[in-house]
Amino acid sequence: MRINPNISSDLLAALSNAQQQQNTALLQMASGRRVNKPSDDPTATAVLIQNQAESSQTDQYLRSVQSVQAQLQTTDSTLNSVVLALQRAISLGVQGANGTLSDANRASVVGELSGIQDQLIGLANLTFQGQYVFAGTASQTTPYVADATQPSGVRYDGNTGTNSIAVSSGVNMQLNLPGSQVFSTPGSDVFQAIHTMIVALQTNTGADTAAAGLRTAFDHVTAQRVFYGNALNQLSSQQTYLNNDKLLLSQEENTVGGADLAASTTNLLSAQTARSAALSAAGRIAQLSLFDYLK
Amino acid sequence: MSSLFGTMSIALSGLLTEQGALGITTNNVANANTPGYTRQRPVLIEGDPVLQGSLTFGSGVVLANVQSLRDPILELRLNDETQQHSQLDTMVSAMQQIEVMFSGSNGSLGTQITNFFNSLQQLSSNAVSLSARQGVLSAAGNVANSFRTTVSNLRAQRSSLDLGVGQTVEQINVVTGQIAKLNQQISAIENLHQDAGTFVDQRTTLIRQLSEMVDVSVVKSDNTLTITTSSGYALVAGDRSFAVTNQLDPSGVQHIFSHGADITAKITGGSLAGVLAVRDQKIPALLADLDTLAGGLATAINSAHRNGTDLAGMAGGDFFTPPPAGNVGAASSMAVLITDPSKIAASSDGSPGSNGNLTQLLAVQNQTVTGGQSPINFYADMVFGIGSDVANGSAERDASDLILRQLQDQRSSLSGVSMDEEAANLIRYERSYQAAARVITAISEITDTAIQLGRY
Repeated sequence: MRINPNISSDLLAALSNAQQQQNTALLQMASGRRVNKPSDDPTATAVLIQNQAESSQTDQYLRSVQSVQAQLQTTDSTLNSVVLALQRAISLGVQGANGTLSDANRASVVGELSGIQDQLIGLANLTFQGQYVFAGTASQTTPYVADATQPSGVRYDGNTGTNSIAVSSGVNMQLNLPGSQVFSTPGSDVFQAIHTMIVALQTNTGADTAAAGLRTAFDHVTAQRVFYGNALNQLSSQQTYLNNDKLLLSQEENTVGGADLAASTTNLLSAQTARSAALSAAGRIAQLSLFDYLK
Repeated sequence: MSSLFGTMSIALSGLLTEQGALGITTNNVANANTPGYTRQRPVLIEGDPVLQGSLTFGSGVVLANVQSLRDPILELRLNDETQQHSQLDTMVSAMQQIEVMFSGSNGSLGTQITNFFNSLQQLSSNAVSLSARQGVLSAAGNVANSFRTTVSNLRAQRSSLDLGVGQTVEQINVVTGQIAKLNQQISAIENLHQDAGTFVDQRTTLIRQLSEMVDVSVVKSDNTLTITTSSGYALVAGDRSFAVTNQLDPSGVQHIFSHGADITAKITGGSLAGVLAVRDQKIPALLADLDTLAGGLATAINSAHRNGTDLAGMAGGDFFTPPPAGNVGAASSMAVLITDPSKIAASSDGSPGSNGNLTQLLAVQNQTVTGGQSPINFYADMVFGIGSDVANGSAERDASDLILRQLQDQRSSLSGVSMDEEAANLIRYERSYQAAARVITAISEITDTAIQLGRY
């Protein structure tokens, strides 16, 4: 059989093949990725797109958790101040209910209680990043204002709305309690309790009942504070979960789309070997024909 | 018994024939690298015998013909495979350009959609923040922009492919015209029962060029050669060629006509088929997918947005431009309607601080609003489709590449010029020439002897 005398096209094909493999291996090593364009592995590309979306979402959940955490911590420590102020009010009430107290001393206790009332209004009007925390969803309205026409002397201008925020896919967390629930629930209204105590001391009657009212209010606020404690706990466990999730996603990304460096290196080396072998073969073969031996 | 001068003429026939054979060898060597060249060999036959009495004497050698060594069946196979290869190659390279538009992980449509939902999530931790609201608007703007850019890139790709159609049609006509002229010359030579080698080589090369552009089938009968498209429209019949024409379709792309009929959809091979597949099927399908995605996303976001109220307590309107009926052109017309960040309807209870409606807007991310899938899954599926078109196309092209190379190997093993062989022939013909020349010298001496006979 006659053999194809022109081997250059086969040789060129072999060379370009080796070159192609070499380039692919180099690109994988340089980018650290096995999938550099959709056609490298269409299935992996689809998985990677979903993975990237999820991972970017997880980053965003983490940012949300962090910003919410700051808000909840501020709120929680403010409620701690409220609890301390109420404790002081209770002990002042007990002091004032003591019948042996002089009028002047009672007046000074009353003065101190009014001070606490003002302090509590200030605390209930807590803002975080310019938003009133205890105004329900009316976060741009000052929730508590002194108003003599109200039985407690304080008016609530907020609403009863609450906000929640997604902290991972499908998990929503309530962010706030409206002031009406924390401070001014009828029966355990903080401002009403202090106001009643002030009136009791001024009139020197019913101080015991007023002191009991203060305790009820104190218990109520303490109970409400538990919400924030729980929320903070939930956030920190959520944070751990999200960080794990991120790790898993990036592991998956690496498994699906990352380059196997050992394999790429081997591929590069074998492509180089194949190429230089083809080159040196080409160099030798192309030189000779029978014409060289004609004298 | 042959006469001395008869012997002289036999030797002369040898000289002339070897000279001719040497010429053929030289021509082979000279054309060793000429594309489409088919090696030739001399066809030597014995001269007619001379009868003398009861004896027949040979009368030397005749160079009867110059034969080109080609296998017509192999050439046909090469045409077919060239059509297939060229179609795949064109399609893959066009799809690779499209693939680039969907490759970047940053700034791609998918990333922009995710960023948009992230900006909504960011806003939900502080629903009144104007900067976070501005963030939502610019992320939404990026989404709309990405859709419009991708559509306009695809359309640009489509028009440049369309431009290629017109150019290919022109080239086809040039080539078929040349083939018709060659047919004329070849049949004139073949009618004389001579080998039209060089012209046939040229025609074979031209038919191969034609096969790179369009699917043709070649029918050879007697001395005429007919070329039709594989759907049966004649391009060349003997010495006549029939031009294909192109003209703008109402949809704004070039359609191809032969003998007055629109053959655009009937072209199944060559670069033209590759271009048409991408221009008429792949790109329109991608544009429709983008419309589904843009339309589904905009409709879902709009309807969730209308359920909420903005910072001023007013009911939310449309967030994106409402998509046209049936989502036709939804991607190219996508735009954010809201320019004032306070108009984002984040609130579900009318208070500015509420973020209740953001939960609804965010839910769109995982809802099956686009072709029965969530937006990002739909996008991932689209990219998967493009990737597998390129990957499968490349694999088929590589296979076709291999087949084509093997066929070319086969062709070359029959028709290619081998230097070793030519060198050997050269020696052979040279030696024969020398021998014939030596014979002439010998006859001359013998003749001289014969002349000297009478001198005594």
